[in-house]
Formats: sequence, C-alpha cells, structure tokens
Amino acid sequence: MTFSRRRFGCALCAMGWLALAGETSAQNLQGAEPGRYLAPGYQPAEGDEKGLWALMDRHERELKGSRFVVRDPAANAYLREVLCRLAERYCADVRVYVVRTPLFNASMAPNGMMEVWTGLLLRCRDEAQLATIIGHELGHYLRRHTLERWRDVRAKADFGIFLGMGLALAGAGWAGSLAQFALLASAFAFSRDQEREADEIGLNLMADAGYAPAATAEVWEQLLAEYQGSSAARDQSFLFATHPLPEERLDTLRKSAVARGGDGERGRARYRERLAALRPTLVADEIGLRQYGRSLIVFEKLLADAPDDGGLWFAKGEVLRLRGDAGDVELALAAYAQAVATGGAPPETWRSIGLVELKAGARDRAEKAFDAYLEAKPGAADREMLKALLSQ
Amino acid sequence: MTPPIRGTGTAVILLLLAALAGCAPFSLVTPERRTVGGAISVEPGMRWNRMEMAPYQGRVEVWTLDGPLLNSLVFFTGVPDGEPLFVSRALASDPKQEKPPVFRSAMNPLEIEELFTATIARNFRTAIVSATNLRPAEVAGTPGFRFETRFVGRDEVERAGVFVGTVRGGKLYGAWFQGARLHYYERYVPEVEKMAASARLVGEAASAR
Repeated sequence: MTFSRRRFGCALCAMGWLALAGETSAQNLQGAEPGRYLAPGYQPAEGDEKGLWALMDRHERELKGSRFVVRDPAANAYLREVLCRLAERYCADVRVYVVRTPLFNASMAPNGMMEVWTGLLLRCRDEAQLATIIGHELGHYLRRHTLERWRDVRAKADFGIFLGMGLALAGAGWAGSLAQFALLASAFAFSRDQEREADEIGLNLMADAGYAPAATAEVWEQLLAEYQGSSAARDQSFLFATHPLPEERLDTLRKSAVARGGDGERGRARYRERLAALRPTLVADEIGLRQYGRSLIVFEKLLADAPDDGGLWFAKGEVLRLRGDAGDVELALAAYAQAVATGGAPPETWRSIGLVELKAGARDRAEKAFDAYLEAKPGAADREMLKALLSQ
Repeated sequence: MTPPIRGTGTAVILLLLAALAGCAPFSLVTPERRTVGGAISVEPGMRWNRMEMAPYQGRVEVWTLDGPLLNSLVFFTGVPDGEPLFVSRALASDPKQEKPPVFRSAMNPLEIEELFTATIARNFRTAIVSATNLRPAEVAGTPGFRFETRFVGRDEVERAGVFVGTVRGGKLYGAWFQGARLHYYERYVPEVEKMAASARLVGEAASAR
C-alpha cells in the first residue's frame, strides 16, 4: 500500500481482512454469556488495563488537535449515527475520528477511540458496507482485543527492547509523535483469531441493525479487485506474501453472510448524500496518490452506482490524463465529455479539456475550453498562466 | 525539533562530530557565487549548509539554514524525461510502493505543478498539500514559472514554500525553498528571492532551448 502506516489495531487493513474466516454462530450482544463483552460505560479500575487506557487517552488528546482529523460536521454526525444504530448501548463509550489519509483503513483503541480513514469512506459504496466496518471495529472493543494482545506480547518478549527499537526507527526523517505512536501500536496488530471474532461480531451487529449481510463480503471483494490494478511488486506485497490466497477466505465470508440470511437495508442514497460535502476531498486525495490502475478501478465501481455524478467522471478523466499512456488522451476526453453531459461537472473539467487539446495541437478548442473554465470560475488564480500557455 | 545549526556553536560541534565519525552530513556554503549540480550558478547572500547525503534521490542538491526539518532549499539541476522530481530514500527501496509519478519533457507549468504536489503527497505521506498562484516568471534568465506551496507533514508542522522552474532542452531546472510557516519560511524569503534573482543556467542547460 502506498505509504501505509501500520496502525494500532490495524483491523481493517487488508491483512486483517485476510484473517477473517470461520463459522458464524449467533452472538448477539444481549444473548451472550455474562462478562463476554465489555459492559456499557466500562472504565478500567486498575492494573495494566488502566495504564493502557491512559496511554490511549494521551494519544487521543493528540489526535483531537491533529490537522489530519476531518472536521466536516455532516460526515462526523453521520458516522456517529451509524455507530449508535449498531450498538446503541455503547454509543456514549466510543468516539469516531475521520482521519484524512487516502488509504483503506480503520482502527480501534481499547479506550473507545475509533479511527476511520478517508480512503475507506471513498471506497465504501453504501451504508451497509460502512456498518460492516464499524461493527468489526466495535467487535475488537467489546472483546478487549488490545488488552489481550498487550498481555500476550509482554509475555513473549522483552517489551522494553522492542519499544526502543520501534522508537529509534520512527526517529528517522519526518516521523512525528503520532507516527511514533503508530509504530509502537503496530506491536498490537490483532491476531487472526481476533480478526475472525471481530468479523463475526461485526456481521451480527450490522445484520441485527437491519443492514444487508451480503455487504460484509463485498467490502473485501472490492479491495481485492483493486489490488489487481496495483503497479507495486505484488509478490513482495504483504498482502500476498504473508497469507495464502484469499479466495477460500472470501468464500467463507460469503457463506457466513448467506447463513446469517435475509435481505436488509443498503442505504446507498443516504450514504452518498450524507458524505456529499466531503466527497470532492476524498476524490482529489485519491487522484493525488497517482496509483492510476487502482484509482480507475475505484472510480469505475463508484460510477457504476452513480453514472450521473459529474465529479466522478471528471476524476476518471483526470486519472487517465495524468497517466498519459497510449490511448489515454482519447479516453480522458470521453470521460470529461461524460462529466459535462451530467450537468454537474466541476469547472476544472474545462481546464483539463483545454490542457489535453493544447497538447494535441488543437489550439482553438483549447482556447474555447479555457474560456469556459474561466467563465465557470472567474476568480481562478491560474488565469494568467493559461493565457501564457495559449500564446506560446 | 532539530536545534538550529546555522552560524552557531552547535553547527561547529555537529560538524566536528561528523568529521570524527568520518562522514560530514553538511558542508558549509559561503556567500559567494557557485555552481550547483553543474547547471545552476547562484550567489547566496548568507552562509548555508549543503547536505552531503540528501534525504532525496534524484537530480537534486539540498541546502538548509536551520536544519532540514525547519527549512530546506532543493535545487533541481536538470530532471530528465521519465524521472521523478525526487524520491525520498525511505521510499526508494520499498517494493510495495506504486511507481512514482515522473517528469515529462513535454509538460507545461500546470502539469509540473501537479507533478510537484503529487511528489510532495507521496514523499511526505500527506494529503494536505496545495500549490497556488501559478504564474509565468523569469527564472535563471529564461522564461519560466513560479508558484507557492503549502503542506502539512506527518509531524503536523505546516510548511510554506515557493517553487521556481524552467524547462530547457527537455530538462527541468529550478528550486524549491520551504520551511515551517511560523518563522523559518518567511524569515529567509528575502535571501531566497535575492538568490533566485542571481541565478543563471550554465553548461548544457545554458545552451539548450
């Protein structure tokens, strides 16, 4: 993954998903044996758990002030709503932070701090898929997986040495304290069994809340399809190097969803609507990654659901224009034309059409496109530059 | 924070320590005309530190005043077609990375600006990056362009910067000065502007069109 940082409880990074498998037994929160799940309002009284929470509280205070936390009120309120729908009794115990990092990831800390990365929000296609992820993270929280892991690691290794190594590594280059924390936290990557359990809980929570169980397998299918479009050395990638091929696991996940049974809500329109203000940022950040093959797969999937979204057609055109392989110019122009046809193309669509036309030597068409851009965006800061380009 | 090393006793100590260790990380740049990377002649107005082991790979030379975490001046000394602007050493050896975006001889300033922001996003692992106010400008005595930059790295520090560039003979020449927005950028803008005004292309770059 491009500049992925292994995060605390990297539950939904691909590795986590690969570990998901196994039988689904009914484990509704209400029906479980006493003590199986954390009680609502739980606070650790003493011992290592209290220390662990204190550490996470400190990190959370830092995160709260981070420039990478997305403040968009609509998006934050929405994620909170989904959380509370999944686990009303725990609604007050868990805080969700949307973190501006264009990669597919979410994480859960033992003190109730949940992180959802923007790359994940871009890739989810409906509320049921988002509920799958939040439910999975809640599973880690409810079963105190981090504490279990913390005790396990301490029992196995001289933790002080390990920690020292991690911090020394983190000291290189641009790592700030949040990044240092991430390294420390990677010591607590959840085990396969924990991932399996969280998945089981997640599926039950989302299905109990009325969502379509089939969404659980889809999230993983989409991510897997995306990896096929990566230019990174695949056989070196952690995804394929450390785990067997995922087909069989995906199959198990599908079966679990079928066994849970029944239709359910998708919430596709609501998902799109509630994250609408955030979407241009999500799209722009994805384009900025310059992972052309993967981005095209992502945008094409989203376009299949929303063929009238001018912003997404523009995004597809941008990826093609920036990649610039043979034939991409024509494909980019076709995508921009689709964007314009929706009636909802961003002004930059015309600027990009102009850039492509200019490169192809069609100066008149380029000038027309730049004029349309400047008309749609009168205050554009690059006006002078565009004029200079035309006069060259 | 890295302690300032410009013109202080700390710098001397650091250099001494490095010399003892057999590898000087910085060498002193005195305020007199000099040629950078065999391509760009400039006249600094103060004492800079040249990084002997630049944190980035590519056709670059990196100078700093207060240490690379506080400010740095990256010279692009002829990036050829098909090469990235630079790749941080940390990313260069990682096979899991997607291929970096590269410079193309046929790129116009708008495309170079896009390439620049994508390069920053990747190398500093951030989505909070922007370039503004792109405009034509004379650069090293040739027609070029300039724009302002802004980004926040994983250390949460907001950094401001200015990029100047020109394409000659299909290669990109230019410089990017950036520093912590509070103090470490603005303080040196006059020095950087003066140096930019003094810049001339030399060698192959001077004769190319």
